[in-house]
Amino acid sequence: MLERCIGERRLRQIQRGVQNMKLTFLCLLLTLLVLRGTIGAGKYGTPQQDFIELRQRFISHPHRALAEQNQPEPKPKKSDKDDEPPLRSLNDPYSLGPKISDWDSQRADWIHRHPERPNFLTKTKPRVLLVTGSSPKPCENPVGDHYLLKSIKNKIDYCRVHNIEIFYNMALLDAEMAGFWAKLPLIRALLLAHPEVEFLWWMDSDAMFTDMAFELPWERYAPYNLVMHGWDEMVYKDKNWIGLNTGSFLLRNCQWSLDLLDAWAPMGPKGPVRTEAGKILTKTLKDRPVFEADDQSAMVYLLVTQKEKWANKVYLESAYYLHGYWGILVDRYEEMIENYHPGLGDHRWPLVTHFVGCKPCGKFGDYPVERCLKQMDRAFNFGDNQILQMYGFTHKSLASRRVRRVRNETSNPLEVKDELGLLHPDFKAVQHHAS
Amino acid sequence: MGHEGVGFKSGSTRSGLPTTRSRVPRGRQIQKTFNNVKITVLCGFVTLLVLRGTIGVGNLTGSTLESEDQRVVEDIDRILREIRTDSEPEPQDPLSSLYFANSTAHNWTYAEAVEAVNYSLGPKISDWDQQRQVWLSQNPNFPNRLLGKHRILLVTGSPPNPCDNAIGDHYLLKSTKNKIDYCRLHGIEIVYNMAHLDKELAGYWAKLPLIRKLMLSHPEIEWIWWMDSDAFFTDMAFELPLEKYKNHNLIIHGYPDLLFEQHSWIALNTGSFLFRNCQWSLDLLDAWAPMGPKGIVRELAGKILTANLKGRPAFEADDQSALIYLLTSQQDKWMSKVYVENSYYLHGFWAGLVDKYEEMIEQNHPGLGDERWPFVTHFVGCKPCGSYGDYPVERCLSSMERAFNFGDNQVLRLYGFAHKGLVSPKIKRVRDQTSDPLQVKEKLDMAARITM
Repeated sequence: MLERCIGERRLRQIQRGVQNMKLTFLCLLLTLLVLRGTIGAGKYGTPQQDFIELRQRFISHPHRALAEQNQPEPKPKKSDKDDEPPLRSLNDPYSLGPKISDWDSQRADWIHRHPERPNFLTKTKPRVLLVTGSSPKPCENPVGDHYLLKSIKNKIDYCRVHNIEIFYNMALLDAEMAGFWAKLPLIRALLLAHPEVEFLWWMDSDAMFTDMAFELPWERYAPYNLVMHGWDEMVYKDKNWIGLNTGSFLLRNCQWSLDLLDAWAPMGPKGPVRTEAGKILTKTLKDRPVFEADDQSAMVYLLVTQKEKWANKVYLESAYYLHGYWGILVDRYEEMIENYHPGLGDHRWPLVTHFVGCKPCGKFGDYPVERCLKQMDRAFNFGDNQILQMYGFTHKSLASRRVRRVRNETSNPLEVKDELGLLHPDFKAVQHHAS
Repeated sequence: MGHEGVGFKSGSTRSGLPTTRSRVPRGRQIQKTFNNVKITVLCGFVTLLVLRGTIGVGNLTGSTLESEDQRVVEDIDRILREIRTDSEPEPQDPLSSLYFANSTAHNWTYAEAVEAVNYSLGPKISDWDQQRQVWLSQNPNFPNRLLGKHRILLVTGSPPNPCDNAIGDHYLLKSTKNKIDYCRLHGIEIVYNMAHLDKELAGYWAKLPLIRKLMLSHPEIEWIWWMDSDAFFTDMAFELPLEKYKNHNLIIHGYPDLLFEQHSWIALNTGSFLFRNCQWSLDLLDAWAPMGPKGIVRELAGKILTANLKGRPAFEADDQSALIYLLTSQQDKWMSKVYVENSYYLHGFWAGLVDKYEEMIEQNHPGLGDERWPFVTHFVGCKPCGSYGDYPVERCLSSMERAFNFGDNQVLRLYGFAHKGLVSPKIKRVRDQTSDPLQVKEKLDMAARITM
């Protein structure tokens, strides 16, 4: 019928035209697809993203459960952006707080007025506050919170045995000093709010106590205000960025420390300040990779460039593992159990095993997840065994969560002393007041 | 690419059409084949390109951030599964060997089962008070009082494996921080238990061998305070009125009328209670334990409890029902030393409290401990760590967050901060910094009203 209207030749021309159009469209579609696949089409997404979305939709994920529960705030996201502080410019100096110049006397007055909270528990043992913390939001990694829980239990145990108080921080006191720098405003706030504390012991959440019997040599530190694990030559001569470690250190509550914090802080504020500072640090310090300024490198830099001002009150401890890098310790636990005993604190039986680079709370660390988690379990059990032996138990193996009895119950429990003497150790004894 | 390009190799002459072979010369045929091959190759190439763009063909893409992501997530899933499964078999019912030794038709009674299992928390001790006194006099460096106050040990815990629900571990962490804060402010020691000390008394009963063990190991501790992991301190200023309990050995939250008149299974709450470290407590623990051993004993005991306690559903014996049953059936023996406390929330059931926090902040102040400002908010039935609770998950989690922040505000106040809202993890400064921080500290009152 169409043929009769238009004519045969015309019809064929039209047919051919339509076929060409079909071809053209097909090729165009293919081109678009390929381009989307290779370059990506911005907010319309790439096929990779489609794939991931499809996958997530059909495969239930612990992450999703977490992500869903992670929205307790009814407010829209816009308000979050509003409280992000404006990035500090390079010529706007940062300050941790109003300058205090007479902290030593303020503190001495307060202690004098409050004899019920002395800053020394015995003649030699200072009042110590162990400070650690983590984010108030659930970990991205579904097991991260479990390891944070085990880590805090580990610290609770050590501190109970050694009569040390704990402050677990979950608050970001200053949004500008987010990340590794968050400890600075926190430490300052705690020093000022707790004049009765003589030493503040900062400890990372990924560090675990593995020697429950080791008491810090407080008398050794009487002339110093800052004790960190490290080596003098590596810091002052080599200027190595890992010459010391700020994952576990002691800071005395005094004017000197407030001044140090003020001198340490300037490289911290998020944004161009931190980035530029990072460049300076990479240039000056040995082996430092390129990234924004971190508190550890900044400390090395500070000690190196202002040695005359600070070094005489800084003790770089290397006689025991105030911080012990996990990589060289965790495989040797069985060997340590066989050959040594707790109370040594050093390479034979490390005080602290610090899982640097593992980042169990985040999704990515510098090491394979499996190795990190399994070794953290081992380190935890290694320390926990020393606590359990107080009560007559031990883990079935360093990898096992289960425990078994190693000492029978008795009707005379007070005649039995635990092997390590941790139930009533000397370093926990209360100063006996002759009444 | 019209129909002409596709070779129509037909040997069949059924249609009657002349075969193409005779019509089309050889050369043309080869050209056509060549064209086909070209087009096939072109199509194949395009397909490969598209596939590469979409899914990524293994090494050809290289590792993008998202594929790394996937790999790590898969790793974590696998590791989680490994961590959760225990390679060791579950401990057996202690009676199972006896069960099958006799005929299976034997109907065990509770009394028979208890006798057969013959469970005991440990060797009988009859002179603990004297043992303890002697020890204290010999160890003046470990007195049972510090600054005039009796020493308290707060005991809590959770299972050693990761929670089935990952968010559960996060709230265990927050609950632990909450307890650390209260105990630091009040000079109380904490033991966080993650070990199953006794296979038979697993589950809610696990606190019994733990409490006994800690009592006997720490004679310097006067009070052992058990607190569930799902209980939060919401009054940081409240101090336990220990002088009230001079003549009592067990302090537990509950209601006497529910207990004595109604024999209700929720008359008392064993989620937060105090035991004095003394002979009486050891005896009570010994009398409490028999309903606990896993298996046939716990099942049969559960039936007795359901029959005797008002409102109790049918399930195996739990420590709370067992204690209520024990105290009501042996009233004369025990009740004179039990203080049923309800003048403050030593345990506060969460559902009636969490929505009132804002009202409390406006009208009251910390330090009261009662319905005006609850001492403890206890999330009974929420079970954030497990897979099933009695309440909707969302309500439980947001309420726990609110309770945590409500308590945390009272701690942050010391440093000049507060949460932006009871649901928000973010904080804001509520007191300016000063160069005279100790003047502020002197005036700071933990029981003062909170401004948000």
